[in-house]
Amino acid sequence: MLIPRRVKHRKQHHPKRSGAAKGGTKVTFGEFGIQALEPAYVTNRQIESARIAINRHIRRGGKVWINIFPDRPLTKKPAETRMGSGKGSPEYWVANVKPGRVLFEMTYPNETVAREALRRAIHKLPLKCRIVTREGGDF
Amino acid sequence: MSEVRLAAESRTEFGKGAARRTRRAGKIPAVLYGHGSDPKHLALPALEFARVVREHGGNAVLSLDLNGSQELALTKTVTTHPIKNYIEHVDLLLVQRGEKITVDVPVVLVGDAAAATLVTQELSTIQIEAEALHLPENLELSIEAAGPGTQFHASDVTLPSGASLVTDADALVAAVNEAPSAAQMDGEAAEAAEASADES
Repeated sequence: MLIPRRVKHRKQHHPKRSGAAKGGTKVTFGEFGIQALEPAYVTNRQIESARIAINRHIRRGGKVWINIFPDRPLTKKPAETRMGSGKGSPEYWVANVKPGRVLFEMTYPNETVAREALRRAIHKLPLKCRIVTREGGDF
Repeated sequence: MSEVRLAAESRTEFGKGAARRTRRAGKIPAVLYGHGSDPKHLALPALEFARVVREHGGNAVLSLDLNGSQELALTKTVTTHPIKNYIEHVDLLLVQRGEKITVDVPVVLVGDAAAATLVTQELSTIQIEAEALHLPENLELSIEAAGPGTQFHASDVTLPSGASLVTDADALVAAVNEAPSAAQMDGEAAEAAEASADES
């Protein structure tokens, strides 16, 4: 699972969710990709789950790129704890995804199989997404 | 590529509010610059310009009708909305007939590589220097029957006559590798994860 090896601050503020992606909005490495249509915090577990969904469907003969990295810690207080007594302990690692960001890319010789693999991956993610290609859509 | 005639009008108001009004009126805010002249702010018809980009690619050469005068311009940058896929803004570069310019041209892989291989395109565009009115829409690179281990470099791309390569000739454009097995795919993902973790 993706996790930073070393961080400067163990506990951080929540990342800003407003605005659209400034970069990483095009498919650059592979042929097909998953593009976010809404903002979300995507956890490392969800990224791993989506990656496994793609790999299990295509089995072999393809290549997958993960374009996001869960570098922001989110904290959580234990259940049934009174308020106060400081910030909770780090619980999740999330990637702050903004609309337009390409999350995953893949290349595979058969487009139908590739699209089905990405569709299955989208089901593992907590946001609305669409499948995009390197050529992009017409204006 | 032949030039495309397009009617443009000057813009007198600037800023995001004015730009949005321009877009609502079915036009695209654009700027025209080059050859040391002052930049000119224009509005292009949205549908017609989208058709030009669709049919002639991102390096379309336009013959602009601007206040009764003709200007020859190259589409330098087309800014699109990240989600809604419409053109937000266009940068146009003034060019002259016979002038040689450097542009990024898309590379299209044609043909099918050998069975049980995986083709990875490392460079989707390469830079070439060519005459402004004879820019290719795209460059084709044949990967027909290429076996595992074959590498295609920028020097392998066939250029049209009069064009020269600006990108490093040894730059890797496409690589044909043996199709990875399921175990290799899992291994690659783990390596990529470790590499990303090191960078952060």
